[in-house]
Amino acid sequence: MNAGADMKDGAGAGEAAGTDAQGAADMDAQGAAAIMQEARERARRELAVRRPVLFLTWGLVVLVGYGAMWLSVRGQHPFHGPTAPAIVTLVALFAMAAIVTAWFVDRASSGVGGPSVLQRGVFVLALAAGGAALEIFIRAASDASADRPLVAVMRAAAPLLVVGLVFVASSAINGILDRPRLALGLWLLAVAAEGAWAGPVTYLAVIALAGGGGILLMAAIEPLLRRS
Amino acid sequence: MNEDGLDTVIHAPARLRIVVTLASLPEGDDLSFTRLQDLIGLTPGNLITHLRKLEDAGYIQTERNGNGTTARTSVALTHAGRAALDRYTTAVRQLLDSASPR
Repeated sequence: MNAGADMKDGAGAGEAAGTDAQGAADMDAQGAAAIMQEARERARRELAVRRPVLFLTWGLVVLVGYGAMWLSVRGQHPFHGPTAPAIVTLVALFAMAAIVTAWFVDRASSGVGGPSVLQRGVFVLALAAGGAALEIFIRAASDASADRPLVAVMRAAAPLLVVGLVFVASSAINGILDRPRLALGLWLLAVAAEGAWAGPVTYLAVIALAGGGGILLMAAIEPLLRRS
Repeated sequence: MNEDGLDTVIHAPARLRIVVTLASLPEGDDLSFTRLQDLIGLTPGNLITHLRKLEDAGYIQTERNGNGTTARTSVALTHAGRAALDRYTTAVRQLLDSASPR
């Protein structure tokens, strides 16, 4: 075996050989099962991204952020769009949630290499590219004199459409169906598409309640769905 | 194999922890030596000894990248290692089933 700079040989090697045979002799099937269970749980705790926590974070961000946007446009006649403080609140909440997400992902993936690193990179690229493309499209539509309510609907829907589509598209990587990701992706697409019928004002409330609520629900049931 | 039909390469607490930890990663992924050491809680010398046994059996693969202070040694479970853990898990379950009162 190659010994790298972080792989210092020497101390403890002889000790390992001695305790090894003893440990094996002392370990019965029950002991082995307990060690496997404990090692599996520790690996899951340390190496897996804590998705319920991330779903909880994003669910609250969507609920509060879009809720604030809805409160700022409620009762507007004619519709002229969310107020600057509401937009700043939403952007700040999104940025905060992105930082929390990056921290959790970095913590779980520290020291891990291989195909999943590439997959994660492409996942982030898909979200960034999709978001940027839709933003450019919306600006172009606005520049081409699209109605203010239409632009507001497109802008509100954009994050849900991008995240929903990326979640669905990435839910079967590695040949294993990621049910929570698929379910949430489909739900977000449904909210983005169906909610738009409600018009630019109520749409924000629909996204806050159905979108944010759906993500919060997923935070609660994700462990159950993953095991099923 | 020991008298219970358990693979003696895996049937040691430290190596069992190593193999189970590596098996929790998606297939093809690897773990740095230092992170593995953190997770298993062994001294570097102890860990190297156990990794060597697993590597000799073809259950893990180690790879060193870089030089000097930037060197990184990664450890990954092989297909044979994953299959061996599956067989070991099945054997442990059978032993537990046969020991439990019906």
